[in-house]
Amino acid sequence: MAVDTRPAAPPAQPAPARRARRPWLDALLVQVVAVVAAFLFAALVGAIIIMLYGESPFFVYATLWEFSTARLSDVARVLEQATPLIFSALAVAVAFKCGLFNIGVEGQYIVGMMTATMAAVWIELPLSIHLPLVVLAAVAGSMVWAFVPAILKVKTGAHEVVTTIMMNGIAVSLVAWALLNPLRTSETGFVDLRSDRFPDSATMPALAPSLGLEEQIPASAHLTWLFPLALLAALWVWFLLNRTRLGYEARAVGSSPGSAEAGGISIGATQLKVFLISGALAGFVGLNYLLGDAGFLGINYETTLGFTGIAVAFLGRNHPVGIVLAALLFGVLFRGEDGVAVATDLPREITVILEGLLILSVVVAYEIARRVQLRREAEIRREVEVEGGAHATA
Amino acid sequence: MPLLDLGAAIAIGLAYFTIIYLTGLGGLFSERSGIVNIGLEGLMIVGTVMGAWGAINWGPVPGLFIGAISGLLFAMVHAVATVTFRVDHIVSGVVINVVALGLARFLSQLFFGSSSQSTSGVPNFDTIDIPLLSSLPGGLGRAFQDMSPVTPFAFLLLIPVIFVLSRTRFGLRLRSAGENPEATRTLGVRVAPLRYGGVGISGTLAGLSGAFLAIEVNALYQEGQTQGLGFIALAALILGNWSPTRLMIGALLFGFAQAIPLRLDDAPVIGALPDQFVRMIPYVVTIIAIAGFVGRVQPPAAAGKAYEGAGGA
Repeated sequence: MAVDTRPAAPPAQPAPARRARRPWLDALLVQVVAVVAAFLFAALVGAIIIMLYGESPFFVYATLWEFSTARLSDVARVLEQATPLIFSALAVAVAFKCGLFNIGVEGQYIVGMMTATMAAVWIELPLSIHLPLVVLAAVAGSMVWAFVPAILKVKTGAHEVVTTIMMNGIAVSLVAWALLNPLRTSETGFVDLRSDRFPDSATMPALAPSLGLEEQIPASAHLTWLFPLALLAALWVWFLLNRTRLGYEARAVGSSPGSAEAGGISIGATQLKVFLISGALAGFVGLNYLLGDAGFLGINYETTLGFTGIAVAFLGRNHPVGIVLAALLFGVLFRGEDGVAVATDLPREITVILEGLLILSVVVAYEIARRVQLRREAEIRREVEVEGGAHATA
Repeated sequence: MPLLDLGAAIAIGLAYFTIIYLTGLGGLFSERSGIVNIGLEGLMIVGTVMGAWGAINWGPVPGLFIGAISGLLFAMVHAVATVTFRVDHIVSGVVINVVALGLARFLSQLFFGSSSQSTSGVPNFDTIDIPLLSSLPGGLGRAFQDMSPVTPFAFLLLIPVIFVLSRTRFGLRLRSAGENPEATRTLGVRVAPLRYGGVGISGTLAGLSGAFLAIEVNALYQEGQTQGLGFIALAALILGNWSPTRLMIGALLFGFAQAIPLRLDDAPVIGALPDQFVRMIPYVVTIIAIAGFVGRVQPPAAAGKAYEGAGGA
């Protein structure tokens, strides 16, 4: 697929020239080439599909971009869409760095929405206490849901992919039960199952009024304080992974469990902590929808944010900065959908196809890049050994 | 509990069994060849939308066929990614599921003018009555009346599947590719085509299962109609320890578990549980099994591992 479009690394280069280049720069270059190639490939295949519809790809891509960036309110909608995806992708990435696959973000955030709803409708408090409490309830609910696969992994070796998939299934039924029983609203006149409406003290304030942008950003764009919080979370995850002891241990366990253990790191304890952190991040995923948009939990709550988050994490290379950029891109595609529907004859779902193409080619391109990287490192190592041998005999 | 209800519940359970078993068998072929396939749900989704489209235009047989072929083609994405490019199997499987959701919306818009559902009344097969069983006394005979012919087909599929896996050259080689690809290669058998075959069969059966759901069970395509049955099939496969016979037992159990909330509300003990808890049973049972609290399940030894090919290149 994406391989052939990518200019091959020059293998015939003389050895000294390659060694002069710094390894990290070399690695970065391979990554960048892979991403660019994947984007070009996806755009190209997308263009072919668009042309089959008799539309101009340039016009469609330009429309996508314009519709999501032209006005401040469009940007706000892009950020609204990006907010939950940043959280869910961070949740996936943290676990991934430790060699764990959290497919369960989906179930974790659904349970988080349920516990947040309980805290929102059952407790009466002033905003400054109630709102943090509701957020905390979401985080706690998600962490409980993450704890089960985590402890089973550590204690029994049950593969977290299987257990989290099953926990997702249980979560859906659990929330359906909660909505049917303890959380069901006593108000009548609703067709669908739903909870009571949340009090104002459990509603996430919009960002626009605080910035004095009420004129430009209408309330229908649900851009809340959770977006800056998502950016902070990305920063925190970076700090956690790169500047703390736990982050170091997590990466050690993720890249080489054997050496990590030999180095005195407890694999189980690290995995447990990291999985709980992942679950805590998952707790924020449903909150923009729940507290910033709907204001109640209904049976038709927003789903698949967890699975999309996995795609965003792949696209962002499990790096906080990459994740924020990838989430913004998904936001642009989501918002641009309306533009495509208005300005062209294409079905709006074309953006979902573009997303899919992009994820597929990125996943393959990264894997190829990883292998190119490994091969180069092996070559450099060999050369160093050969030279070392030459010195010894001289 | 009146037997009439029990009969009706069994009938629904058998429909769910068909979905879970066909998809699970698909997963079995993929995983026995060494490729973990958590994309079964996505493959089923593609089968539902394509199958409904085929049946609306040309009738149930072409509908099921188109559903199966679409599953096969979509599964090739997983095969190319995991076998040729050696992408992590879980990563690729997740991508398959995510992409399938979007693809289904796109195709549905294209075919039916609505991204979320087709018109109802998709043409399906004439139902059949199973001889003898359908005349069981009480209400029990109802379980075997008005059955889709695909259901007995799914039951009978067990025989050729066991034969292929344990008696044919392809089946034995497929299993060896999943247990020990290095040894397979040493014997001069190429691993990649076997794994392509395994993944291809998984797509075909999952697509067929999705088409069955849309055409025969619901008589319409609807977004989200698979309801995680692909994951339940995965659960049945794990619980069935990757064996076709035990998978069948698992699929029967989980199929009936799906039917209980619909028809057996007044059954003793289990009827007292809220429906939602009954729906959790397959997932809970699988977690217990995978954690090793009851027996031990053992996946194919090389499943999930990339095979680097001869010489590591």
